[in-house]
Amino acid sequence: MWLTSKIKQILMVMKPGVVTLNYPFEPAPAPKSFRGQPTFDHHKCIGCGGCADHCPSRCILVRDVCQELRVMFYEGSRCTYCGRCADICPEEAITMDTNFQTACDDKDDITTRMELFMMACQRCGRCYEMENTNAIDRIDLKGFRYDNLEQRAFIRKNSETLSPQLLAETEQYARPTTKE
Amino acid sequence: MLKNLCKKAFAKSIWVYHCNTGACNGCDIEILNILTPFYDVERFGIKLVASPRHADAMLISGAVTRPTLPLVKRAYDAIPDPKLVFAIGSCATGGGAWFDTYNVTGGADKVIPVNYYVPGCPPRPEALLFGVALALGLVEKEAAPIELKQMEFPIDMYERNEAWEKRNVIYELVK
Amino acid sequence: MNQLPENTWGILLVFTNIVLFMGLAPFFDGIVRRVTARVQSRQGPPLTQSYFDVLKLLGKQNIDSVGILPFRMAPLVALASILVVIAILPVAGKATALTGYADTLSLIYLLTLGGVAVLVGAFASKNIYALIGASREMTTMIMVEPILFMILMLGVLKTGSLDLTTVIYGTPTVNYGWAGVVMVIVALFGLQAFVARQPFDIAEAEQEILGGPFIEYSGPNYALFKLYLMLKQMFYAYLPIAMFVPLLKSGSFIVDLAMQMVLTAVVFLLIGLLSATHPRFRIDQALKYFAGLFVVALAAIAGALFG
Repeated sequence: MWLTSKIKQILMVMKPGVVTLNYPFEPAPAPKSFRGQPTFDHHKCIGCGGCADHCPSRCILVRDVCQELRVMFYEGSRCTYCGRCADICPEEAITMDTNFQTACDDKDDITTRMELFMMACQRCGRCYEMENTNAIDRIDLKGFRYDNLEQRAFIRKNSETLSPQLLAETEQYARPTTKE
Repeated sequence: MLKNLCKKAFAKSIWVYHCNTGACNGCDIEILNILTPFYDVERFGIKLVASPRHADAMLISGAVTRPTLPLVKRAYDAIPDPKLVFAIGSCATGGGAWFDTYNVTGGADKVIPVNYYVPGCPPRPEALLFGVALALGLVEKEAAPIELKQMEFPIDMYERNEAWEKRNVIYELVK
Repeated sequence: MNQLPENTWGILLVFTNIVLFMGLAPFFDGIVRRVTARVQSRQGPPLTQSYFDVLKLLGKQNIDSVGILPFRMAPLVALASILVVIAILPVAGKATALTGYADTLSLIYLLTLGGVAVLVGAFASKNIYALIGASREMTTMIMVEPILFMILMLGVLKTGSLDLTTVIYGTPTVNYGWAGVVMVIVALFGLQAFVARQPFDIAEAEQEILGGPFIEYSGPNYALFKLYLMLKQMFYAYLPIAMFVPLLKSGSFIVDLAMQMVLTAVVFLLIGLLSATHPRFRIDQALKYFAGLFVVALAAIAGALFG
């Protein structure tokens, strides 16, 4: 009847006791296969820009400040933790970290900035392969890339030479609109 | 004296209003997860309330889409002071993968002032608990901007130009 | 000269009543929340959580989205009515200074006044959810008030007077009879509806109508309503103890009072267990339930009249 079934219910729920995880007071590590933030290893990175090209949220930005210096900027605020950057990296310089304690009160706290030394070829300054007919790949091989790091915008403009005008243009970058 | 008591009581009992502005519901499910017995967030005194007028904190999930833009502003105004805003998930912190598309405003901080960001896609319930504990002052912030350099070296042309333009200094490197 | 010490004792009792009830009501509410949490296998909020809730609400901004007077007066009227009920309540057998000015019928009027204040507040907020909550609250009041009336009517019939002290503390002194036992069972079955908890928290159904009649209230107004609800809960848990459990009569007022408070805590444990294990009834199911309870209570009254 109703009373006996309720008494049975109360006895049944008393069995597991309290199952709450004592989390902020005791560490609760994530499983090893957890995909958290990408961690960049600047010892291995060669600055190819493959991660920047494949990121779905365009949150890895590249700026060539000069011939020898390439700045890569990872912006974590719109990262979807998909792992494509780690997947595509030829040198396995990106690993998906298992740290999830990334709450912050400022969006700049979840950024990573890498400054890379790009060795110049002795003959021509920038090295590229002649046999490439794919238009997209040819754009990539043109060398200098100019994303806008200040506004965190992905512009993907490449040029064969380091052009100070293009660099200056990226600083006043405005998103294209259809309004007149 | 009563005011001080009320201020101290605020940290011990925060009532939360959950606002979904066009999310995929992943972050909403994680928010529901921390209300379950395993991650129990009610032991901090936090309760989910249905009306923004009863709430102290607003949990926003989802990149703020265009139709929900005025509604988010209205819900924010309906919450009485003092209030906190938490942006949950990568859609609310920066617009996610859709930050520059036509229908999306691009993150909650373009609409209302945000106090705490919890990135993740979706954030683990422990990560949400960490954000809650950070707001309550129980833990220290662990995220910080990372700067990695391959070598420390002054690049002659770069440094010289920058020094001249920005700091009006002539820079020469000793050979 | 003989009157004077009695009167000061009575006035002191008024203040003791109010302080005791207002001090213990959030603690008992905390007990209910903790028991609910433990039944759900989780660690729940600390026992003093409801104190923090009320304090925090008092410190918030008071948003008055509708500008009319009934909106602001409703929580004040509700809290005032329940405080008057507590002030006239004879606790542990001793009448307060105000008990002589009221009797059983005015007790019932004052309790209904609190509910009417909630309704006025809900109608004053121009919100459709508040309207739905108010209509549900009205239905709940209509079906629950007769049961309360009949519980007190048993005491009136058994002791033959309408005076509050005799009615509330008189029932265990005369013989219970089967009518008394039936009435105890009716009081226990109707307990959950009096304190507005599952399965009968139809009015403030959080998941269904977003907070019911209190949806537009914020800050201090809502704190007053919350205090009203907690005090009402404690009163309705205290009433069966006062009416049906004989006083300890140990000679000391404090010991009697402590015993009654311990029993009230046990009743709150029962309320917590019942509210954690029951779903919420629909209005028509609740109406059928209370119609049945009404017939049983009527039979007990008839037994007390003619037996």
